[in-house]
Amino acid sequence: MVVLSASLWLRSRLTDRFWRVQEVLKHARHFRGRKNRCYKLAVRSVQRAFVKTTKARRQKKRFLRALWITRIEAASLEHGLKYPAFISNLLKSQVELNRKMIADLAIYEPKTFKSLAALAQRRRQEGFLAALGDGKEPEGIFSRIVHHY
Amino acid sequence: MASYTKAAQQWATFARAWYLLDAKMQPPGKIAAATVIRLEGRHKPIYHALSDCGDHVVIINTRHIAFSGNKWEQKVYSSHTGYPGGFKQVTATQLHLKDPTAIVKLTVYRMLPKNLQRRTMMQRLHLFPEDVIPEDIQKNLLQEIPQPRAVPKRLDEYTPEEIAAFPKVWTPPKDFRRK
Repeated sequence: MVVLSASLWLRSRLTDRFWRVQEVLKHARHFRGRKNRCYKLAVRSVQRAFVKTTKARRQKKRFLRALWITRIEAASLEHGLKYPAFISNLLKSQVELNRKMIADLAIYEPKTFKSLAALAQRRRQEGFLAALGDGKEPEGIFSRIVHHY
Repeated sequence: MASYTKAAQQWATFARAWYLLDAKMQPPGKIAAATVIRLEGRHKPIYHALSDCGDHVVIINTRHIAFSGNKWEQKVYSSHTGYPGGFKQVTATQLHLKDPTAIVKLTVYRMLPKNLQRRTMMQRLHLFPEDVIPEDIQKNLLQEIPQPRAVPKRLDEYTPEEIAAFPKVWTPPKDFRRK
């Protein structure tokens, strides 16, 4: 054998294999079946789990918005307004609250939500009067808002 | 958002309520649409699919539901027993005669979301063919859901004074004969 120096006699071997395996397994401990124990199966499952987490960050925004809309619809129906009427008339009255805040108000501040619903209802009636009314001096207060963009 | 500590805790928010719905002369589809909203809990601002916030709904007079059009003769309910040659097709009339609550039950079951909570929600639905309700359910009832269809009055349900007072387009002469 040809050993010309000490560095070629000392082979480098992997010493921290345990910790490299644990780095993957720690993310799989709550899985079901053998993939929470066996490294070969866990590697595949953990990779898929991470991919799903990444994609879900975009889907979470969609899901939460749909949930807020459902909750706002429920709360506005309690006050006799449907969701499209409520939202469109709030925007026309230049109340630019997003759906998250309106949903939280509907749960935790019911009286505030009631006044928002009353505002939307009033603006809606003014819109009808402006469209169908007799062309007299419009008595609308909320429909006179000038939108500055 | 208000602080959790400062908001007064409303214990009754998470209570399960009992609603009554009279299905007399109502289309079963609209009945089912109104009940499905209550069974899922979508009428509450605290709704979430996983939080089991649905309520109980008691439907009475299911024997007196009214399909529009010719659906009593034309609507077909199909099922299969699993055995060969076991495909059964029944018209709505036959099914209604066999079991007066089956039409409303099937309509509600098919309108609910197709997930594991559907069976739980069906257990919270109570159907009665007439308006006879057991005592213990009657004690639980909280509120009545308004009927989805405004029931029109028949001609013989109007009083003669109302008929006389109704505006006429034209009055026929005394010797008028209908063909």
